[in-house]
Amino acid sequence: MLTEIYQIVSDNWLLLLIGQYPNGPLGGMAATMLLSLLGIALAFPLGVLIALARLSPFAALRSSATALIYVMRGIPLLMVIFWVYFLVPLLIGRSVPGFVTMLCTLVIYEGAFLSEVVRAGIQALPAGQIDAARALGHSHLSAMRYVILPQALFNVLPSIVSQFVSTIQETTLGYVINVPELTFAASQINNRLLTKPFEVFLILAIIYFCVCWSLTQLANWLERRVAARRAGPQATVSPAARGPSATRLGDVAREVGK
Amino acid sequence: MIKFSHVNKWYGDYPALVDINAEVARGEVVVVCGPSGSGKSTLIRTVNRLEEIQSGELMFDGQNVHAKMKGAQLNHLRSRIGFVFQSFNLFPHLSVLENVTLSPIRINGVDRGTARDKAMTLLERVGLSSKAGAYPGQLSGGQQQRVAIARALAMEPPAMLFDEPTSALDPEMVGEVLAVMRGLANDGMTMMCVTHEMGFAREVADRVWFMDAGSILEAAKPAEFFSNPSHPRAQRFLSDLRSH
Repeated sequence: MLTEIYQIVSDNWLLLLIGQYPNGPLGGMAATMLLSLLGIALAFPLGVLIALARLSPFAALRSSATALIYVMRGIPLLMVIFWVYFLVPLLIGRSVPGFVTMLCTLVIYEGAFLSEVVRAGIQALPAGQIDAARALGHSHLSAMRYVILPQALFNVLPSIVSQFVSTIQETTLGYVINVPELTFAASQINNRLLTKPFEVFLILAIIYFCVCWSLTQLANWLERRVAARRAGPQATVSPAARGPSATRLGDVAREVGK
Repeated sequence: MIKFSHVNKWYGDYPALVDINAEVARGEVVVVCGPSGSGKSTLIRTVNRLEEIQSGELMFDGQNVHAKMKGAQLNHLRSRIGFVFQSFNLFPHLSVLENVTLSPIRINGVDRGTARDKAMTLLERVGLSSKAGAYPGQLSGGQQQRVAIARALAMEPPAMLFDEPTSALDPEMVGEVLAVMRGLANDGMTMMCVTHEMGFAREVADRVWFMDAGSILEAAKPAEFFSNPSHPRAQRFLSDLRSH
């Protein structure tokens, strides 16, 4: 079986990596990563905006942000894909490539989820921070921009990486609307070989696992860094300057951060 | 400068402030003392409207603090009232210098160079110019509180409020913060301080307000208050302090 897997990979590695590019659209792993990266990169600013709306002093903003989040949390991603797939061409009057459909879907869906991550980060900061900013005369937005968000976004970095891992897994659903990504490439190979589904989809699973596992390790590493920073910058200055209490505090913060 | 007239505040059914009538004159130093839960912190937080009041009137430098006003107006008013917190509340992601320069630059539109020079002068004044590049987490509590005072002074407020500025400090650091406050008082700053430091009250305050259960029971000169308090609750409070 190992030789067969090796054979499949050596025959099809280019297809798995970049799809039919340059003779066709970019696909394979490259498309999966591009879709996930663009998805999370565009969803992030959207998520920050939704989070700010959800914590805004204006009730209208608050309730529309809350509604959006509840809708997105309450329906499966596949439904959102179908909605965008069938509705967007009707609205703009022409067909949209599958890649763009999937990207739009991911941005909306992940934006809603990321906004909850960002909101948690904002609300986890001590109330004294906003008090201090307001007492100095900062407006709500100015306090958010210069005092609250820089701290909150740094603290939620690990969660954002975790959300990126979820996004990579969600891109597989692009398969149902023929987005040429990694799962699509594997299924093309399977259709061609016909008799080796176990080997093909094992290869697919291994690739996803390696990528997602490495990113999860990155998130864990970031989480330790963030916890150390939260315990006090002295921990990052020099190991020699760290007293025993600082070390213990760092451990506590790590435990809490888990 | 700061004038309370019939100020009342409730948390639900619980009366937090009861018919407060008092005044801090320009250049005066008032120390607010009393047992915990007596409303001292609530009182001081109503002055820059971190807490709302339900009735009465609170004037700051001729302006009605709790009148209906635009957000920008309230922000401007707050920028003119220095506030120092018990828990320092420095911004941990910014260096000491950036903590002090952030608000003058972002709120008052002061240019970076001027803000920096001003900040260095203020840090010099609180004895921390050598720590300008440090981060709050690298400083002791007393140093953090002195930076917090410099940060508040950077907005050039005509009055400063202190909400138990030394209560979160180790005993050996209380002195350095009180020394900075004493310096401010000597320079003629209008100050309202909630504190348990009776030595500071005796020495620096022009008047002492004694609070219990949301009311100001006694407002007197410190010499008078400490030697001959008129209200029985104040007498008990002081004798409890002395017995320690």
